[in-house]
Amino acid sequence: MNAFSVLFRKLLKIVRSPVLPEKDYYHRRERRASRAEAVRPDSPNLDRRLQLVRERLGESGDLVTRAFSSGNGRVRLALLYVDGMADRKLLSDNVLRPIQDDNPLLRHYKELRPDNALQLIEELVVNVSETATAPDLTQALRRVLSGDTALLVDGEKKILILGTRSWSMRAVTEPETESAVRGPREGFTETLRVNTSLLRRRIRHEKLRLETMRAGRRTTSDIVLVYIADLVNPQVLAEVRQRIAAIDTDAILESGYIEEFIEDAPWCVFPQIEHTERVDKASAAILEGRIIILTDNTPIALIVPTFFFQFLQAAEDYYERPFIGIALRMLRLIVMNVALILPAAYVAIITFHQEMLPTPLLLSIAAAREGVPMPAVAEALLMEATFEVLREAGVRLPKTVGQAVSIVGGLVVGDAAIRAGLVSPSMVIVVATTAIATFAIPAFNAAISLRLLRFPLIILAGAMGLYGVMFGLLTILIQLAGLQSFGVPYLTPLAHGTALDAMKTFARPPWWLALWRPKALGTPDRRRQAGNMRFRPAPPEERELTHEETGDKDAGKR
Amino acid sequence: MLEKGRISPRQAGELLFMTIFATVILFVPSIMAEKAGHDAWLAAFAGALAGLPTLALVVRLGRRHPGQTIFQYSETILGRLFGKLAGLAYVWFFLHWGAVVVREYGDFLTAAFMPATPLSMFNFTLVLLAAWAVVAGLETIARMNEFLIFLVVSSLLAILALSVANWDTAFLQPVLAEGFGPVLRGALVSAGWHAEIVTMAVLLPYLTRPQRAFASGAAAVLASGFILTLGVVAALSVFGPDLVAVFKFALHYFVHTIDIADFLTRFEAVVMAIWVAGVFIKTSVIYYCAALGLGQVLGLAEYRPVVLPLGVVMATLSVTLFANVSELSFFLSNVWPAYSITLFTLGLPLLLLAGSYVRGRPEDNKQAENLNE
Repeated sequence: MNAFSVLFRKLLKIVRSPVLPEKDYYHRRERRASRAEAVRPDSPNLDRRLQLVRERLGESGDLVTRAFSSGNGRVRLALLYVDGMADRKLLSDNVLRPIQDDNPLLRHYKELRPDNALQLIEELVVNVSETATAPDLTQALRRVLSGDTALLVDGEKKILILGTRSWSMRAVTEPETESAVRGPREGFTETLRVNTSLLRRRIRHEKLRLETMRAGRRTTSDIVLVYIADLVNPQVLAEVRQRIAAIDTDAILESGYIEEFIEDAPWCVFPQIEHTERVDKASAAILEGRIIILTDNTPIALIVPTFFFQFLQAAEDYYERPFIGIALRMLRLIVMNVALILPAAYVAIITFHQEMLPTPLLLSIAAAREGVPMPAVAEALLMEATFEVLREAGVRLPKTVGQAVSIVGGLVVGDAAIRAGLVSPSMVIVVATTAIATFAIPAFNAAISLRLLRFPLIILAGAMGLYGVMFGLLTILIQLAGLQSFGVPYLTPLAHGTALDAMKTFARPPWWLALWRPKALGTPDRRRQAGNMRFRPAPPEERELTHEETGDKDAGKR
Repeated sequence: MLEKGRISPRQAGELLFMTIFATVILFVPSIMAEKAGHDAWLAAFAGALAGLPTLALVVRLGRRHPGQTIFQYSETILGRLFGKLAGLAYVWFFLHWGAVVVREYGDFLTAAFMPATPLSMFNFTLVLLAAWAVVAGLETIARMNEFLIFLVVSSLLAILALSVANWDTAFLQPVLAEGFGPVLRGALVSAGWHAEIVTMAVLLPYLTRPQRAFASGAAAVLASGFILTLGVVAALSVFGPDLVAVFKFALHYFVHTIDIADFLTRFEAVVMAIWVAGVFIKTSVIYYCAALGLGQVLGLAEYRPVVLPLGVVMATLSVTLFANVSELSFFLSNVWPAYSITLFTLGLPLLLLAGSYVRGRPEDNKQAENLNE
């Protein structure tokens, strides 16, 4: 073995070794902190513990420690809560007063002493519906920080936790992003408990499960999986649990964080998890055998697994008469294609395949394009980009100003651009139609990915004509067909799944015929109802005609 | 196991349908009209039926060697050396076939749509796209196909229905005026295409229910034969046999004639969309078979590394195999059916089945397989 080969091998070793040694920097700091904590003994002494609380939480203005005594001064106690998150009236009426006052129950039954205080107070004195005991200060503080109240007793190591969570919250309002003409007006709010109660109210079934998980080291956000135990596919459920449990980050502020952590293909343009603010939509998903992921502090719930064509469906499809549902679904399918393809197809036809247009139309388009200084591709890209700017400018502005933007941008600039001969009227029609089509797609996140894909398609159309468009569409299809959402193919039910489910993409069945849940979800119980429930009126009974009906006015007299 | 995905028998049937059908509908009507004249429609269906024996052969082989593709059981049957040679022969078959299909695609697009664009642009972009699909795996191809087959078949049927106004069924008569000779010659062409069902030999072990292989394959062959017959009938009754024989792409010219109320005209773009989508699936399937086969013959752990090299060869072959469209057309009508049937779609499978029976009962093979694992 010569020196070169040795050198080469060493080099190879260096190149192959990972850049950083695999050390867990993130957790190391946490461990150090917990070690420092462990040094202090968890003493039962009240003053020392209150001091410890102040050390750990610092001088936070909203943290209230209220020390008092009871049992003729024999027992010293302290309440610990966060102002604004705990119910102060409940605390003063149902906790402080019964303990401090000369309580007849205590007087006749037992004497309050430091060693029995905690148990007696929990069992006999406080009038709070939810109580628990925490073994140490760390756990008690966690509950206090989420709005509960801790009752510390001098000389007692255990801590009594009183359920006093109450804070001002946004009322349940109509979801603005998904409004419907017909259907319930309730939307999710930022408060998790309210959201779970909204779901529970709709599905009053013993098998409805609300499974709580936590994520976020600093936010400790509650995440609730909602499903019906005998409808959900256990494999999908296990997968969801596992993926959420694997999240180890410092903050979860919105369900979008979770979405990105648990989706199957993070680099794909298309959204792979549907989200909704509508309670009825979430309930319908649960009843199909899907899982809803609720996150604390956001009104947006996630629906898994998700199929692509779900993004083209709205809750209202199921409330209006089936014909309307069918027509709307067909319309949205067309609209989706328009939103994706129309500008690209226009560019391709104008640039390469003029023969496809009827001659009069071609002539008028050509005449309008006479003075336009750009090729159709550049024109289309410019107009599409302008539209995106207009839309983005309008979204963040207050409504009143937003209208001004759309008037100035759309009407004034658009009209002037045509008059100046910068763009052709036909291109404006195409771009405007596309824009409207985009807004007709119910799901904003799906619409935006279609909008993004429009740009490469326009470029392909300008380069290779309709062939380029087809090429682009096939690339998109490869992506879509390769995707899976929690083990279920994304293109279900059009690819994969039964013919019946595929038909539902185009037409929703009338409710009396909706016998089955989607097969691809793998729900153990596919049957939705007993059988065809169509109402059939009874045949008319045979009877004597009345005189009014026969028109025989004299019949009674005779 | 090189392929972990599984497809349902229905998906397999649809894949095979598309594999046969995609090129059939464009090229075959004119070739058959040239060979069989106004009896071409008879020849179309008769030829399709000839796909069934091939299907029966490969399904029988697949039953005797469960869980193995043709590349694997040829080794079990013929021994290591000859087995590998047979496997390589099949890899070549798929590669060559793929190149021919890609060439058909490029030639059609340059001739009918974009005459100024070089052929290699179409061929290389198609192979690139197919390579991506092949890397994505069998399940992905199957799902894409499930999505596309609906569009392709429905738009094709719509085109045929729209043309009914132009039909003159007198062109189909007289039936069998020149006896069975021309019909048989025409049927051979159709048979050459429908024997492509031999692809089932590769897909069969990846079916969720392999016992349904024959049913789904037969459905694919019959459906393709039926639509081809419909297409030939339509083309003949619009143009007459003499004109169809002159056209290279009968369906394309056929679409020119559609004119409903001076408004629904110029459906060429639809034809191109059908064609591009169909050939894309067809190329992906053939390409997949070649890649998987090479992986299995060479004993690789993954077939994905050979995808791109094979693609380069396939794309290059597709450009260099033929000098021009006429050469391709001559090859397709006179060489391809005989070449593929005698060697790959009937010859080798027959040999393998005979060998398999000589080797012994399937039970022994099962035991051998268990030992191998």
